[in-house]
Amino acid sequence: MAVSSTRELPFLNVADPDFAMTSDEVVAARARSWCARTNYGLAALRYDAVKTLLKDRRLRQGSHAWPRHNGVTGPFADWWGHVLLNKEGGDHARLRRLVNPAFSPRLIGSLGPQFRALGEELIDAFHDEGRCEFVSQFAEPYAARVICMMLGIPQSEWKTIATWSSDMGLALGVTFKQDLPKIEAALEGLYGYADDLIADRRVNPGEDFVSRLVLAQRDEDSLSHEELRIMLVLLIFGGMDTTRNQLGLALQTFMRHPDQWRLLAERPDLGGAAVEEVMRVNPTVTWVTREAVEDFTYEGVDIAKGTTVHLFSQVAGTDPAAIPDPGFDITAERPPHFGFGGGAHHCLGHFVARSDMSEALPLLARRLREPRIDGTATWLPASGNTGPIEMPLRFTPGN
Amino acid sequence: MKICVDLNKCQDHGQCVIAAPDAFAFGDDGKLTWVTEPDERLRQDVEDAADVCPEQAITLED
Repeated sequence: MAVSSTRELPFLNVADPDFAMTSDEVVAARARSWCARTNYGLAALRYDAVKTLLKDRRLRQGSHAWPRHNGVTGPFADWWGHVLLNKEGGDHARLRRLVNPAFSPRLIGSLGPQFRALGEELIDAFHDEGRCEFVSQFAEPYAARVICMMLGIPQSEWKTIATWSSDMGLALGVTFKQDLPKIEAALEGLYGYADDLIADRRVNPGEDFVSRLVLAQRDEDSLSHEELRIMLVLLIFGGMDTTRNQLGLALQTFMRHPDQWRLLAERPDLGGAAVEEVMRVNPTVTWVTREAVEDFTYEGVDIAKGTTVHLFSQVAGTDPAAIPDPGFDITAERPPHFGFGGGAHHCLGHFVARSDMSEALPLLARRLREPRIDGTATWLPASGNTGPIEMPLRFTPGN
Repeated sequence: MKICVDLNKCQDHGQCVIAAPDAFAFGDDGKLTWVTEPDERLRQDVEDAADVCPEQAITLED
């Protein structure tokens, strides 16, 4: 379809508090065009378009100017400007080359038994009662203690890490500027942790994750102290809320598909497939942001330099043109989802997230039988990084 | 050392191009190209590339 003007494209009001990625309106827009107009720019809706545009080098990662758009300067804006996510080209490649080996799947894979033991311990604390508040009693401590494990921080300090990380997350919300003092205090706290860790590993290097970052070298190049502390804060920030939210969303999806939950309890080997299938239909990161660095035309739509292009990961993941089966099935072969983004900015921590969630979900399925909402769950807004704030559950204890 | 890329798995993320730019590159058509039998001095880079591939599409044979 040749579209001579973007005015002919469907419009989605993504700033509406009631906007939902799974709405009939979005489904209809996807059927009509690969692309919609939004309050912020354009949105790619179909599987093939998202798959291609994620890797298109005429687009850069698009949230680099977020503090500037909010009139924010100072320590948070400085951190944001220097994190891997907001770097491009040679600077980005250099940092990514230096940090990637610390995330080797061989290294992460060896942590499986520790992830399982953590999951069992958390479930033990509430299991016999047949009820829990899933976010505060499982998802949040699990996500935070995995990060403590990775960084070699005492696990007793998980709550501090979780609180600071959530406070940092306020920077992604609409009240960014008024929350700035809280955000900067959290950043300062996390920098303190990072400084202590870096200093310790310089003196006592080991085989652990932080040592690998501190010792990372390529062709005489290594990460400076400033780069290391910026990176460590990003890893905490990037790994905490996303994992907590995604575990809550997994429970939500499986409660709608109890047969699949029972199957997962019997087949823990499907843990990895369960993570992929949940992230296809119900990812916490429902869109990723790109910005055009030049004028170009894609599938009949003219995209001017500077245009924001949101790639709707969740909408693309349920595009019937790529996945004709509308169901949720952890045994089905599916094309790759976009829950970890893609291209040069593909999620750095995805092996950790995949590994810890693929251990947690089968455990939960085995020990929390027939889970259902007990009272009322409360939710983060559906746009951006979504998930439950509170999710009280009742379940039948399993062995 | 021989590089094998499973193109059924490859999603063109380009993490291998970042890890080992002397062994992997994107062609003008945006598709991945690679040196089938790279020089031994590239071993560390190429091993990093195989490790880091999000789809685990790269295998090395000696």
